[in-house]
Amino acid sequence: MNARKALCFTALGLAAMGLASPAMAQTRGQLRLPEFAALAKKATESVNVTLAPQVLGLACRFLDKSEPDEAAAQQICTSLTGIYVRKYSFDTDYAYPKEDIEGVRRQLSAPGWSQLVGARSKKDQTDVDVYLLIDGGQAKSLAIIASEPREFVIVNIVGSIDLEKLHELEGKFGVPELQIEAGEKAPAAKAPAPNK
Amino acid sequence: MSDVENELRRALRPVDPPAGFAERVMRALPPQRPPATVTPLDIVRTAPRVTAWRRLMTPAALAASLVVAVMLGQQVAFEREQRAGLAASRELMQALRVTSQKLDDAYRAVQSTPPRTQEDEENRS
Amino acid sequence: MSVDPPSLLLRARDGDASAFEALVRMHQSSVFSIGYRMLSRRDAAEDLAQDVFLQLYRRLDSIESLEHLGFWLRRVAANLAIDWLRRATHVATQPLEAGAEVAAQQPDEDPLLNRELRRMLGELAPAARAVMVLRYQEDCDVAEIATSLDMPVNTVKSHIKRSLTALRGKAIGARLITAEEMP
Repeated sequence: MNARKALCFTALGLAAMGLASPAMAQTRGQLRLPEFAALAKKATESVNVTLAPQVLGLACRFLDKSEPDEAAAQQICTSLTGIYVRKYSFDTDYAYPKEDIEGVRRQLSAPGWSQLVGARSKKDQTDVDVYLLIDGGQAKSLAIIASEPREFVIVNIVGSIDLEKLHELEGKFGVPELQIEAGEKAPAAKAPAPNK
Repeated sequence: MSDVENELRRALRPVDPPAGFAERVMRALPPQRPPATVTPLDIVRTAPRVTAWRRLMTPAALAASLVVAVMLGQQVAFEREQRAGLAASRELMQALRVTSQKLDDAYRAVQSTPPRTQEDEENRS
Repeated sequence: MSVDPPSLLLRARDGDASAFEALVRMHQSSVFSIGYRMLSRRDAAEDLAQDVFLQLYRRLDSIESLEHLGFWLRRVAANLAIDWLRRATHVATQPLEAGAEVAAQQPDEDPLLNRELRRMLGELAPAARAVMVLRYQEDCDVAEIATSLDMPVNTVKSHIKRSLTALRGKAIGARLITAEEMP
């Protein structure tokens, strides 16, 4: 039995015993995301991507390997099983329900999730959290939650993740090297105003 | 608008690419797919006059029509999958771009954090 | 050949190569210039522009109108240039090639100031540079820049403000303009 099946059976077993944590109700590492459909009408810009395993496989097949960015994307996606992105921008402050974003953050306190980055800027009222689900010393899921007064972004990538390759898509090297032991949290970094 | 902005507009007026650029682009284009040939479906609807020859040919004609219909269906399904696949790949790239940008933001936030000094560490404890 | 632009798009989508070529000619200066202002080299700018038009050829079915076409080309060119700069395969800070400018100079222009402004622009970070090129070369408004570069509107405004301040400071320092010329 491979590790993935073992995880699934464990999750099923725990669920049967009523001990399943919210984060394990779906595929391990997949977050439960609120329905944001109503926000799209208020948003000046929205990105809503749900690529479950089959559709993700289809998408990967149609990437153009002759394009450097799509070839890089294909390398990243071969080991992924789901990509879920919600990004909404508004022209007024806090037009989105903060509690919904906090609800997603709370799921990341479930066992297995480790915080890689936690940056807060009081000046800009921006928060950026990056979490990894570590299993067997490998990153099995990535979650990014970024919120600022007029925008929030939630990213959930499920599967074996190569963060270096993911970051390289933007052409920048150097994911912060924070030593993470499975189950431990990295110290949260306080951020001054992000210099975009 | 300030003088510097006006000067910027002047300095950034578009310039032409080298001569022959458009021709080079056209030469670099991939070969086009020939358009799909579609056999009209009404050949399967026409009732042939029943002659001895046609009695022999009807099963063959029906079989050929069925093959055409199946191929047509496959072509439609293929094109539908093409469209779905292209749309999904565009969504995938968009999702990865957003992800990478946010990782970049997190990276900048960490990089711009001043390192803890000995005093900070002592104050923490 | 008809030069009615809307029909060019329809015909290009239908596989008319001459129509596609006409669209390339319509937009080649804009796309090439975005690449040139971002990458500071004509050869790299031509490579980038060619890539952009090849991508367009593959995605013609997703272009809804001529206006959308312009927006799409600017967006792809600017983002591709940012990617290339960050991968450092094209040297961003090389001085502009001598004699490279082929746009006709207007009588009241200061060629030295223009050249230096372009050079200083090349020293901005990729994202800020892209914002400035889209704003002052392509005359895009803030909202379009934000959408093109997938950036919040406030970030675009910050880039413009900071970049103008930096450019003014450098121009004054280089004595290209005097402090009195600052607004």
